[in-house]
Amino acid sequence: MSDSFLRISGLHKRFVGVHALRGAELTVERGELHALVGANGSGKSTLINILSGQIAPDGGTITLAGDRLRLGRSEHALAAGIATVTQETTLVPQLSVAENILLGPRKVRGPLGIDWQATRGRAAEILELLGARFPVDVRIANLRPDQQQLVEIARAISMNARLLLLDEPTSSLTEDEVDALFSLVRSLQERGLTTIFVSHRMSELFAIADRITVLRDGRTVESGPVSSYDPKRIIELMVGHAPEPTVAPARVEPGDRPLLRVDDLSSGHVVGAAFTVAAGECVGLAGLTGAGRTELLDTIFGLRRATHGRIQLDGRELRARRVTDAIARGVAYVPGDRKNLGLILSMTLAENVVMPATSARRRLLVPSRKRERARVSAVVGDFGIRAASPDVPVATLSGGNQQKAVLAKWMHTGPRLLLMDEPTRGVDVAAKAEIHRLLAEARSRGVGILVSSSENEELQLLCDRILVMFRGRIVAELDRAAATDANLAHFAMGAH
Amino acid sequence: MSSDVGGPRPRLLSRFSLSELSSSSQFLGVAVVLVAMFVAFSVTEPRFFTAANIRVMLTSVAILWMISLGLTVVMLTGGFDLSLGSMLGLAGFIFVGFYVRLGLPALLAVLLTVAAGALIGGATNGFLIGRVRMPFLVVTIGTLSLFQGITYLVSGGQTTSLTSSLLDSIGFGTALGVPYSVWIMLGTLAVSLFVLRRTYFGRDVYATGGNPKAAQLAGVSVTRTLIAAYAFAGATAALGGVLQNAFISAASPVGAGTIIFDATAAVLLGGTVLGGGVGGVGGTAIGVLFLGVLQNGLSLGGVQAAWQQVISGAIVISAVLFQQLQGTGMSLFPRRERPDDASAGSLGSVNPPEKKEEQV
Repeated sequence: MSDSFLRISGLHKRFVGVHALRGAELTVERGELHALVGANGSGKSTLINILSGQIAPDGGTITLAGDRLRLGRSEHALAAGIATVTQETTLVPQLSVAENILLGPRKVRGPLGIDWQATRGRAAEILELLGARFPVDVRIANLRPDQQQLVEIARAISMNARLLLLDEPTSSLTEDEVDALFSLVRSLQERGLTTIFVSHRMSELFAIADRITVLRDGRTVESGPVSSYDPKRIIELMVGHAPEPTVAPARVEPGDRPLLRVDDLSSGHVVGAAFTVAAGECVGLAGLTGAGRTELLDTIFGLRRATHGRIQLDGRELRARRVTDAIARGVAYVPGDRKNLGLILSMTLAENVVMPATSARRRLLVPSRKRERARVSAVVGDFGIRAASPDVPVATLSGGNQQKAVLAKWMHTGPRLLLMDEPTRGVDVAAKAEIHRLLAEARSRGVGILVSSSENEELQLLCDRILVMFRGRIVAELDRAAATDANLAHFAMGAH
Repeated sequence: MSSDVGGPRPRLLSRFSLSELSSSSQFLGVAVVLVAMFVAFSVTEPRFFTAANIRVMLTSVAILWMISLGLTVVMLTGGFDLSLGSMLGLAGFIFVGFYVRLGLPALLAVLLTVAAGALIGGATNGFLIGRVRMPFLVVTIGTLSLFQGITYLVSGGQTTSLTSSLLDSIGFGTALGVPYSVWIMLGTLAVSLFVLRRTYFGRDVYATGGNPKAAQLAGVSVTRTLIAAYAFAGATAALGGVLQNAFISAASPVGAGTIIFDATAAVLLGGTVLGGGVGGVGGTAIGVLFLGVLQNGLSLGGVQAAWQQVISGAIVISAVLFQQLQGTGMSLFPRRERPDDASAGSLGSVNPPEKKEEQV
């Protein structure tokens, strides 16, 4: 046996109906930053969950610094110095930063219970180490997503972690927040921390990882230093064949009358937004988290009340706070938080898919199940959703198929204006290409698209024009040529 | 089907026609116990399985049945209505108002009372919860007391006796050997079943309870759905009030304050979950019958009232616990386990690379 820091071999895990891991291997050297990549369903998360003790494997061994790890209990993983930071925050929003960092190992002093002074002191110490600039008494709910992430990492450090697992830590961060996270991870690496990093964003892997391991269908495909790969090769390894070229959409000349016209719109955080979207045009919304992109989309769709201004579709006003009106007029909205806002998991696939399209019907009418079934079957076929029947609960579908169902239920309404928030958050490279292809196809049919994304690359690829938001205002409008990374960052940070 | 479980359901069950009655088949376990209990009482207690006793048993749960049906719809939206018991008492005197004070024909008075129940439920509970977005417990604790107080003010604390041939037939008459009250129970069940399982409104109810934000985004008017759900519950409680008047040939200000707890037990037994989105009125009907048979059988067996309470409490808890275990297919202390497919979003690959074991 070699003396690698972490050695995973022959890992097997079978869930009901899914063979998630089939003998996966992973070797990580001490102090390195190791990227773990693979399409959704390749077994990455299962592997991470086994490593962090959340799941017991069916077979295989893990040795950490020469000791065989006891599997299947998160206490054992923690005791061995394995700390996990996942894409979903596990912080308690009502508690303070200090309480969250030392949630488990609180400083207790005698019969009087928690020693708050020591708790706060220790928390402040760790935060300073990480270069955080917020006090330990702030409640988590008042922090930005990137600051919350920092608290998660602080918690990991406070447990004297030797191995840090970062499971898609960047999926809810904007690009500058990602940079901050990376410099933090690098400085931790200099202190000797070993990190395993899971991400779907190709650019991040090359920016930060030392070595890379590719998983496909529960097996390890290849492993090696990042410098010996390029993005194309990695995608090839992930999906098992050469990637299809991404279609670059044609520039569309806006007609005389815009499809969507927004005038001096204010709502909550958003102030004085004014812009147009033409039929067949794709307009992007860039900006940091909290710049008001989602609020703007919500307001156009009628989920939020506009305090001021007008929204016109085809020259006719959209009725305020009437989602059904927006839907009936041909507006579709695919939300960013698809897991929580996209589907009603307790209902069937068919019920979910037809919901927006039937939202304007009289509520005491009786839908024809036969006609619905036929329609849903067609949609299910078009989008390649794998389900035993349209009548299965949507919760029984795999994550990827649920994503498709969200898109299907909106494209099925025959939208003329498509609002999309973070269209590819948390999806793998292949799926991303597929979503981009769908959007290009919709454009060619004359659908206008307003898409918000925190990935510059995506906006540059999809959009004719990009609006940059900063603290609720649209501060710049850039056409594709002008929308360089530097320009986008410049305006997104509020510079003029 | 609880919303966080991804396992495929047994195919036989989902095709089973009973699944029409409710979106969850969890109440089937309770139904089996109900049948077993029925058989056991029939064997051990000669007076149990007689036409007269069955009639008594059914009419004894008529009021509970009404309240439970209304409560089911409210609970499916993710809410709760504590005020239904006092709404029932209030409705008794609304009927008095229409029938005695205004001298309207009895049938019209019944219909107007039910309409008034819907109106009051929708305009108070429904409006405050659906439109103003106040917490349902706060609102219905308030209206619980409000309705009760108004009932006492209107009645002066006095019972008003009623003579009406219509009420008498509702209370004591039969058609085809089946009491009118039982026909009304069946009719209300049929209407609720139809509305919940066949109409767009029914879907709105499940959608609102399943995930109100996602429902709103898909064009469901959550506000209107909630108002309608509390109005429906108000209507069923008012119909319960009319039945109460019919059974005692009077309107009594005492109402039925604690019936809401029995109704909650019946709804939970029937597989509708607190939090909404899962369950149905078919299960609730079985839950009500379960409580009815249990109480009736124990009384016939001469079990002391206090012991009856102890026994039904224990049985309700174990039945719901059993359902939970069975429904989730998990141990008492479930561990988080799921394939990463179900947690992370993906469209799947453009050309899924040799994936044979995808869940279908």
